[in-house]
This record gives sequence, C-alpha cells and structure tokens, in this order.
Amino acid sequence: MLQQYLLRGLKAGLVAGLVLGLFVALVANPVVGMAEGLAGDHGHGAANAGDGHHGAEHESAVSTATTKAVSVLGGVFWALLLGVVTFGVAFYFLEPAIPGAGDTQSYLLAAAGFVTVSGAPWLVLPPQPPGVEQAFGTDLRIAIYGGMMVAGLLACGIAGYAYTHLRERGRPVALAGAVAPFCLLVGAAVLAPANPVEVAVPETVVTGFRALVIFNQAMVWVVLASAHAWLLRRERSTAATETSNTGYAEPTPTAD
Amino acid sequence: MATANDSVHGRIERARLELTPTQVALGLALAAIIGFTLLFFQEPLMHDSLHNFRHGAGITCH
Repeated sequence: MLQQYLLRGLKAGLVAGLVLGLFVALVANPVVGMAEGLAGDHGHGAANAGDGHHGAEHESAVSTATTKAVSVLGGVFWALLLGVVTFGVAFYFLEPAIPGAGDTQSYLLAAAGFVTVSGAPWLVLPPQPPGVEQAFGTDLRIAIYGGMMVAGLLACGIAGYAYTHLRERGRPVALAGAVAPFCLLVGAAVLAPANPVEVAVPETVVTGFRALVIFNQAMVWVVLASAHAWLLRRERSTAATETSNTGYAEPTPTAD
Repeated sequence: MATANDSVHGRIERARLELTPTQVALGLALAAIIGFTLLFFQEPLMHDSLHNFRHGAGITCH
C-alpha cells in the first residue's frame, strides 16, 4: 500500500520536475544571469556585510554552462523530492487526518508543503536576487531557514488538528482555529532579529525577482497537487469500475 | 484501500508491518541527503553549480 503511495508521489514529482526543470532552463537561468550583470554594474560601496559573497565574488568554481545544467537538474530533483516526501510519505500517513475529501486533500497538503518549505522561511529571509549582501552569515541563515521550516510545519500541523477537532462547533470556529497558528507564525517572524541587506541592484529588480520566485515555487506545488489529484481520481475510478460491474463509467467529457 | 480502521495510527502500524527498519533508515537518509544537498550544502563546487536553482527557488542560504 505504501508502495502505491510512493509511486504516485514519484509520478506527481516527475510531472512537476519537468515543469520546474523547464522553468529553470528558460526563465531562472537567464534572469539570475541578468541580475548578476546588473549587480556587477553597480559596484559595491562599503561592503562589510557578513560573509555574503555576492557581488565581490564572481569567480565561480564552475563554468556558467555547468551552473545552468546542474541548476536545471536541481530543479528536477527538487520537485521529485517534494513529490515523494509530501505526496508519497506524508500523504500516506496523513490522508485520514487531512480535512476535506478528494482533490481538496491534495491541494491542502500542497499548501502546507509550500508554507513549510518556502513560505515560513521567506517571512524572515525573503528571496533575494544576486547582488544583495546580507548581514547574517551563512550558518546563521541556514539555522534560521531550517528553524522556520520546522515552525511552518508545526503551524500547518496544529492548524489541521485544530480544524478537525473544532469542526463540530461549526465552520467559523474551525476556520478561526486553523488560522490562529499562522498568525503565531507571522508573529514569530516579526519578532525575529532583522537581517539588514545591502542591495546592489535596483529595487524593481528585487521586487520583480521575488515575484518570479514566489510564482515559481507556487507553480511547483500547484502542479504537484494537480498531478496527484488527477492520478488519485484515475486510480479510484479504475478501482470502482473493476469492483462494481454496474456500468460505472468515467465521467463523460462534455465537449471534445 | 480505505478500511474501517483508517486512521493515522493505523497507517503507521501498517507501515511498520510493511517496512524493515533498514528500508526506513535508507529512505530517510536518501531524502535527507538530497534535501540537504539542494538546500544547504556549501561546498564550493556544489554551491556554485546549484547557484541559479537556489536563487530561483528562493533559498537564500548561501
């Protein structure tokens, strides 16, 4: 049974991996390259910020072509990992506890995945284009990023638990219970120490880049959830046709 | 298959019957290695190779 779930997660991950790999190849690679060019043009004033290496470096340990190719592969593996861990393992264990039914469960799990892996850490460490020097050192940022992932996971877990257990007191109460942990999460992020940055690229580049990254990661989760929901629906309708010979047919498409 | 005994606890019990500890350890280790490599690994060769991906995914930990 677990195997079936893992395989389904892997398939969803493969679909999202192809999409993300293409996205890195066609959008992220050129955009990051462009931002690096801009950062290079602007020079770096009194750069004394932490150990951030952007800007000052620019002798990469590998060729640009390698970075581009490995980054595409990284995107594919990223989506595969998210697919297997979230929709293989987590969905197997949590399916009985996730609120909703059918597709809703897939999308809720994807939302929780997004909050855990990206959303929560971004509250403290928003996505930055190349050319942004950060005051926090790498080790500290890794610790914060990891810590916020755990906090995001906890918030999602508590939200789901609260919703399920408050459900019988009515939907508004249950929704309020589900929202509360996320308010705490945002509160924790606001209280976290500030990470001053020194930006060597125009502010619009930073804003545009962030929008692109948010879109990109949200897209990964939407594709994962859609693929997973579709696979699940297909399996269930196949199982239904096999068990009952009452002429159950796949929902007939209304248009060609 | 959804059974009457379908709960998170039931799923965990079922997984314990289906999997050996070695399989669990291998699976966790593999996921942890891939995850750590993609997100946090700082070795220069790896870091610079994954540079565009990390920026694109909003992972600012480098």
